[in-house]
Amino acid sequence: MLLRAEGLTKVFPGVIALNDITIDVAEGEVHCIVGENGAGKSTLIKCLTGVYKPEKGRIEVSGEATTEGGVQFAAVAYVPQEIDLFMQMSVMENLFMPFERTGVTTPISYRALEERARPIIEEYGIKATPRTLVSELSVADQQLVQIARAVQHEDAKILILDEPTSSLTDDDATRVFQVVRRAKARGMGVIYISHKLDELAVIGDRVTVFRNGRSVASDYIENVDIDWLIREMTGRKLAWEQSFVPNSGDGDVVLDVRSASGPGFQDVSFQLRAGEILGFSGLVGAGRTELMLSIYGTTPLYAGEITVHGADGERAGGRSSRRKRSPEMSLKEGLAYLPEDRKRLGIFGGLSVAANTSMMSLSGFVRGGTIRQGTEKQAVLEEVKRYDVRFPTIDTAIRLLSGGNQQKVIIARTMMVTPRIVIFDEPTKGIDVGAKYEIYDLMRRLAEEQGLGVILVSSELDEIVYCSNRAIVMNQGRVVSEFDQPLNKEALVSAMFGHRDPIGNVNE
Amino acid sequence: MNNENQVAAKGAGAPPWVRAATKSPLLPIFGILVALIVIASVGSPHFLTEYNIQALVRDLAFAVLIATAMSMLLLLGELDLSVGANASLSGVLAGTLMVQHGVPAFLAFVIGALLGGVFGAINGILVAGLRLNSLVVTIGMTGVYSGIALVLTKGKAITGIPEEILFLGKGTFFGIPIPFIVAAVVLLLALAVLRWTPIGRYVYAIGNSAEASRLIGIRVDRIRVLLFASVGTVAGLAGMLYVARLGSSQTSIGGEWAINGIAAAVIGGIALTGGTGSPLGGAIGAAIISVISNLIVLFGVNVYWQSAVSGIVVVLAISLGSFSAMRRARRERMIKTRDAAAEPLKVGV
Repeated sequence: MLLRAEGLTKVFPGVIALNDITIDVAEGEVHCIVGENGAGKSTLIKCLTGVYKPEKGRIEVSGEATTEGGVQFAAVAYVPQEIDLFMQMSVMENLFMPFERTGVTTPISYRALEERARPIIEEYGIKATPRTLVSELSVADQQLVQIARAVQHEDAKILILDEPTSSLTDDDATRVFQVVRRAKARGMGVIYISHKLDELAVIGDRVTVFRNGRSVASDYIENVDIDWLIREMTGRKLAWEQSFVPNSGDGDVVLDVRSASGPGFQDVSFQLRAGEILGFSGLVGAGRTELMLSIYGTTPLYAGEITVHGADGERAGGRSSRRKRSPEMSLKEGLAYLPEDRKRLGIFGGLSVAANTSMMSLSGFVRGGTIRQGTEKQAVLEEVKRYDVRFPTIDTAIRLLSGGNQQKVIIARTMMVTPRIVIFDEPTKGIDVGAKYEIYDLMRRLAEEQGLGVILVSSELDEIVYCSNRAIVMNQGRVVSEFDQPLNKEALVSAMFGHRDPIGNVNE
Repeated sequence: MNNENQVAAKGAGAPPWVRAATKSPLLPIFGILVALIVIASVGSPHFLTEYNIQALVRDLAFAVLIATAMSMLLLLGELDLSVGANASLSGVLAGTLMVQHGVPAFLAFVIGALLGGVFGAINGILVAGLRLNSLVVTIGMTGVYSGIALVLTKGKAITGIPEEILFLGKGTFFGIPIPFIVAAVVLLLALAVLRWTPIGRYVYAIGNSAEASRLIGIRVDRIRVLLFASVGTVAGLAGMLYVARLGSSQTSIGGEWAINGIAAAVIGGIALTGGTGSPLGGAIGAAIISVISNLIVLFGVNVYWQSAVSGIVVVLAISLGSFSAMRRARRERMIKTRDAAAEPLKVGV
């Protein structure tokens, strides 16, 4: 065994983060670790990389016990989930940083650096020259630079990847897999953490499931399937046996988009009805988010008309279309947008759960110029209960909550202004499996019980197929096809790559 | 300090505001302030004399005014380095109106403060309208405002400020210097706006993420301009109070206000990146700086050393604040680990 951790236990006040975990990885093996957020995966990584010192247990590298973090640090190459590179420096500089450890001598010869970097860039298939600035690369290439930097370290025997494909398209994920296979071939042991269960079969040899700080199950990949994984991760039976398609998709038209063109999309027309979930599928870069931002009013509309219909079927707010739209105006018309980048655009990280929840509806609590804090708190408590948000206290800073609970707070916040149309942009990105299903169920309830028109933009096909009444597929800024239930995955995929479906009615 | 321990020991039985106070992140710096005052009272027989306290409190008033204003801007994620220059130019303009153009003194006093608001609004419009960095803009505008003041006065003080308004700078009300009362009112107003009005909440929201704020329909630019204008008004007001205190308008007014205001806010736990903290912390920070300056004089520190010593103490105080922030961050990491096991909310608890 290349790496063996035995009986690791790490305790934080009030919680056992790791409970008697034993895990190993052999040469040339990819060992996948899955589990919901908070299951103990990050704590394990921190123990393996020497950041935390476990209370109990031992870690062996190539059969040698290591109690000091230093030994491990040299043998373990760790690639974090979020890009952690020097953005304003070149690829070659990033590859060899810190220079003292990679044998780059002062004064730095940039020509020599370039020569050393070129074969690495080729080997990893990074689309860049050695002198390209990292900030100019795509996320996928940045991720590959990160892996290359970690792996090409001479003593590195073990590679730990933390959700390396979480923000990549399937195409780009394949490039990462190739690199992982190359590391395998070199005899490295790989610990691969992921939320994307279907990629485990592609890349993994073994899988271990974490739940509540324990390792609950472990098996070879060929022996397991996705249902098994979900069952072990959540401790309950939950899979796509259940459909989240609302049974209420035939209401009045609430949003009418006609021949809309804007930055990143052209000539898009569609209608959204009350009570339905309308899925928007497509590859990353197909123009879905751009379209939604224009509808919402944060980016301009070059041509076309966007009409939001009020409860009485009339145009809400009496205006529409080309006149400059703004988020403020959209919200007034009853149209809300929940962004993909939750951390930066969704939450107010440093503020409390309560403050985040009421931020959109404050004016409703004002009497005589001041906010009635009692009424506000009451309303907030009701709303977070309705959406089953879980948190230590209502005054806890929201950034300390899990992604799923943050998303629920954002939903609660939005529902406090009683919109009639809600656009969800990748609502379950970075959210663990159990919470994903809760979000799907919430969307279904919003459509069914409150008659909302819901737009779901998602790159996960399953989400589109199991949640939407209808699905629209976009490719390169245009609507390619529109599908009704029952949705067919193969047809969706084919349309995503630009093939017009003969049955699907294009731009009706 | 002993007193605080007793309060903490009472714990759950204490009224809510006491519990809130013992949990407040301001407690450590408040402790520092109390400790400094104790050291000063014990260490120097002159500290607690009426004359010294009067002088100290009068200095403190200006420090608190500027620290409050600067805290508001820092919460928003902006800053205004031109507050001093703004104060001096407003003072010069109002002084000219009173002395050379016969404008009634009280009216000119108000005009001076409002002019400060106009200058602040100009800063805000440049920052919000042209999406410029407020640090750079206000460095530039410092030059503009103080330059205009120099041109107008040719470097000479405007003397002969009418007697009737001098009490605003020199006078007392029930023994409390009037500038201090003004500062306290401004501070309370700022706290009330932040706590009880939507605009106050939006300030925190924008400081956390301007983009997220825009996305939920908050008028970010409008609030930015409004805050810069308010801060300018406070600067103008402070300038006018100082003119009334000196009995003359001078271009030298406000030289170190901006820097001390920022230092006070940072000591008071307001992040330079915006979104967290309270002007109350900024005010306590201002009090710490003022007491230190006072102490240095009372302890007879060599006049050439005063600036260095005061600098060292300020850096120490900021480091202490950062230390307690790190401890808070560590506690929060534990909450995050625990979130996995978080119980569903029980409403009504």
